[in-house]
Amino acid sequence: MKRNGPLITLLAGLAVAAVLLTLSFTAARNARSTNAAQNDAAQVGAGAAPTASESGAATAPTSAPAEAAPLVGPVTYAGKVEGGKVQLAIAAKDGKVVAYLCDGKSVEQWLQGTAAGGEMSLTGKNEGSLTGSYGNGVVTGTVTSKGRKWTFRVPTVKPPSGLYRATANVRNATVVAGWIYVNGQQVGIMTTNAGEPREAPLLDPNSGTATLDGTTLYATAIDGTGL
Amino acid sequence: MNPDPGAPTVYFPTPTSGSTATKLLIPIAVGAGVAVALGVYGRLHEPTGIAVNVAGFSGPLTVKVWLATGAFLLAIVQVLSAIVMYGKMPGVTAPSWIGTFHRWTGRVAFLLTVPVAVHCLYAVGFQSFDTRVLIHSLVGCAFFGAFTMKMLILPKRGLPGWLLPVVGGLVFTGLVGLWLTSSLWFFETQGVKF
Repeated sequence: MKRNGPLITLLAGLAVAAVLLTLSFTAARNARSTNAAQNDAAQVGAGAAPTASESGAATAPTSAPAEAAPLVGPVTYAGKVEGGKVQLAIAAKDGKVVAYLCDGKSVEQWLQGTAAGGEMSLTGKNEGSLTGSYGNGVVTGTVTSKGRKWTFRVPTVKPPSGLYRATANVRNATVVAGWIYVNGQQVGIMTTNAGEPREAPLLDPNSGTATLDGTTLYATAIDGTGL
Repeated sequence: MNPDPGAPTVYFPTPTSGSTATKLLIPIAVGAGVAVALGVYGRLHEPTGIAVNVAGFSGPLTVKVWLATGAFLLAIVQVLSAIVMYGKMPGVTAPSWIGTFHRWTGRVAFLLTVPVAVHCLYAVGFQSFDTRVLIHSLVGCAFFGAFTMKMLILPKRGLPGWLLPVVGGLVFTGLVGLWLTSSLWFFETQGVKF
C-alpha cells in the first residue's frame, strides 16, 4: 500500500493536470467560437455569402440583424501595411475599436472608432483616420497619418500577440508607449510630452512590462474599449 | 505505469536483483521522457493565451506567482524535514511522524505546481525570447521529469543511501530555479501583488 504512494501521487498530479487542461481547452474554444461567430456575422452584414465551412458556426448570430451588428469580439487584427515596414494593430470589443500604426522609429498614430455591419471607421490626432471592412478573419482598408496613406490587409492574431500600451511618469515627463507584438516580433514607439517619438524599450508580453531608464512601465493589452 | 501494482514482488524486497544502474533505468528513462514530452508540447502547441483561471486573484499571473511561492516554501520544508528524517539535523531526534509529514507536504507542493505548469504550457508555451524565459522553460520541463523520476525511484529497494538525497536535491534545485525565474522576478518587477 505504502509503496504505491509515489505512483498515486504522480497519478493524482496527472489527473489534476487533465482536468485543468480540459477546462482550459473549453475556455479557449469558447473564446475562439465567439470570434468565429462574430466574423461570420460580420461577413453576412457586409453582404458577402458565407462559405460552407462557416455555416456550422453561423447559427449563433441569427438574431443579429443583417446591418449594423456591432463587432463584439474581443478580437485583434495585426500585421504589416502594404508596401512598407509599418505595422498596424486593430483591437475591437463590443463595437468599439482602437488601432495603432507604428514603425518602431518615427511613424505612430493612435486611432479610435467603431465597428459594425462589416465596416469600421476610426479617427485620431492630427487628422489621422482609418476605414476598413472586416470579415473572414481579416480587415482590409486604408489608414492615414500625418498626410501619408497606406492600404492594408491584416489578419486576426492570438494572444500574446496584440496591441499593448503603457503610460507612466518618468522624471516629471508623461510617457506614452505603444507596442504591436505579432508572433514574437514587436515594434514600439514612445512619446513624451516634451520630445520627438523614439523607439520604445523592449516589452515582455508575458508580464506586460518594459524598463525605461530604470523605471518599470506597465503595459496593458488594449482590447478596443478605450485607451 | 505499473501494470501489476498488487503483485507479490512489490511487497518482497529483493536487493540482490539487478545492479543500481538496472533499477534506475526505467525511472530515468520515464523522467527524461516526461521532460522532453513537456518541452515538445510547449513548443509545438500554439499558445492560446487563455486558460482556466482561479478566482480571488487579480489575474492568472498572480495566481501562478502565489501557487509557485507556496510550492517553493513547501520545498524548503521538504529539505528540512528530509534532513531531520535522515537524522542529520544536529540536536534533533527524528520524530515518528516525520516521514508522513515529509510525504504529505511534498504531495501538496507537487499539486500546487500542477496548475502553474498547465497554464504555462497551455497558454504561454515553451519560449526563449530572453535568458530568464529560456532558463525557466528548460528548468520547468526538467523539474517535472526529475519529480517523476524521484517518484519512480522511491519504491525501489537496495539502492545506495546517497541516491534519494541526490535526486531529491535535484528536484529541489529545479523548483528553486523555477521560482527565481518567475515569482521572484515578478515580485521585483511588479511588486508584491495578489
